[in-house]
Amino acid sequence: MGLRGSKPTFDDSSNVVYFIQIPLRGLRVPNLSPFPLKLETYLRMAKIPHESIMISTLSSKGKTPWIRHRGKDVADSQFCIEYLNKQFGVNLNEHLTKEQQAVSRAILKMVEENLYWVLVCYRWFFCDPKDLGLAQSFPWLIYAFIRRRVRGFANGQGMGRHSPEEIFQIGKLDFKALSDYLGEKKFLFGDQPSETDCSAFGMLAQFVFSNIESPHCALIKKEFPNLERYCHTMRNTFWPDWDQVLKGDASSTKL
Amino acid sequence: MGSWLSRKSKFDDTSNTVYLMQMPRGTRVPSLSPFPLKLETYLRMAKISHKSILGFSLSSKGKIPWIRHRGKDVADSQFSIEYLNKEFGVDFNAHLTNEEKAVSRAFLKMVEENLFWVLVCYRWFFMDPKDFGFSKPIPWLWLAYIRRMTRGYAYGHGMGRHSEEEIFHIGKLDLQALSDYLGAKKFLFGDKPSETDCSVFGMLAQFVFSDTKSPYCALIKKEFPNLERYCHTMRDAFWPDWDDVLKKGSS
Repeated sequence: MGLRGSKPTFDDSSNVVYFIQIPLRGLRVPNLSPFPLKLETYLRMAKIPHESIMISTLSSKGKTPWIRHRGKDVADSQFCIEYLNKQFGVNLNEHLTKEQQAVSRAILKMVEENLYWVLVCYRWFFCDPKDLGLAQSFPWLIYAFIRRRVRGFANGQGMGRHSPEEIFQIGKLDFKALSDYLGEKKFLFGDQPSETDCSAFGMLAQFVFSNIESPHCALIKKEFPNLERYCHTMRNTFWPDWDQVLKGDASSTKL
Repeated sequence: MGSWLSRKSKFDDTSNTVYLMQMPRGTRVPSLSPFPLKLETYLRMAKISHKSILGFSLSSKGKIPWIRHRGKDVADSQFSIEYLNKEFGVDFNAHLTNEEKAVSRAFLKMVEENLFWVLVCYRWFFMDPKDFGFSKPIPWLWLAYIRRMTRGYAYGHGMGRHSEEEIFHIGKLDLQALSDYLGAKKFLFGDKPSETDCSVFGMLAQFVFSDTKSPYCALIKKEFPNLERYCHTMRDAFWPDWDDVLKKGSS
């Protein structure tokens, strides 16, 4: 899955943001987890100098991604963004009205706290393991272990108590909301991208580019084509090197 | 908890009455869980004839509330609402634009999948158990058991991995979003209530009316007074018998 072992060395005197993500390089997406993809899209959008490190070291909260900047570790993608906004004087929501900022928060949470679990349940309970789309193969024992843990998490969160059809219906309503809100707009709130676009893209890219055999991908293509168009817009704008990144590019540093 | 047989005999499956299974009443809110309060508010808003059955009878999904109607059990508050909308021809979102419906969905999920966990973590990890707002104190063994279970759930969800300050910060951002979107409006989307108002009220009522000693209640009173105003509006509109309900313990 990736290297454990030697800790990476950070230059804590530089202004570079070390972006540590678990090595879940996908065949079709830079990371199979939506949160590293969200955070890396944000770093690109905000033009913050960063170095991506793919190792299995999880954050202090036991999750991925996390960052290190000037000797400070920050866990959780959203706390990372809030930290980086302060440190680098970034505000990707500046052009939004108060009401739009409120809607932005609501959409962020719908995507990360609801649609995310639709994705998780699909991948770990219903998806053929061959379709996971990982660049490296998954040892069977680790796959079984993670599946068992995820079942417990999903049951506790609630999504895991629903049937596959119910979970699909819940996901469909979220996609519909995203699609209806996006409409003809280039980004969620108009011609300029904003913070929540990073999260929405990080999540939708999983369905649109990675899980292409999923019923969710088919649904998007058939009923919500503007979401597919939106993913391409985000990818072309912030990931012009998408294909090189998937091949194992120069901008990622493996340690 | 009644036996299966005595539970069954409470229902008249030939009538059109909706039976709502929920926990016993709180001392300051009709339900200490936001989801039964959401569903009961919806039933009142829709003027659907219903009867609350108070107890700890869990749904097929292991949760509360659930409903029974004409012999059919439906679990999960949102699935219950979708079922009832179909059965009774109700649509509280009919007057919303497509964009507003989308926003409605987003706020529903923010409140139920994020703010809910802020509430849960506060109540089970940080709040003094004396402030719970049940008519009887929770037996120590039950408290310990539920706390342990909740810790596992909250950890799996993610919220349980944050510090108390971080959770408060997350809750504050959600409350800010609700307050900014509500603004000076009577309900979330204007002068007419909609479906998501039931959910938002169900959640906010916990902070505003029940957890009155919480930092969230103090925060709402100080920085988001329109949310307190909104809770009173919803309560006055759909729960004019609020005090009676609390006294009698059933509707």
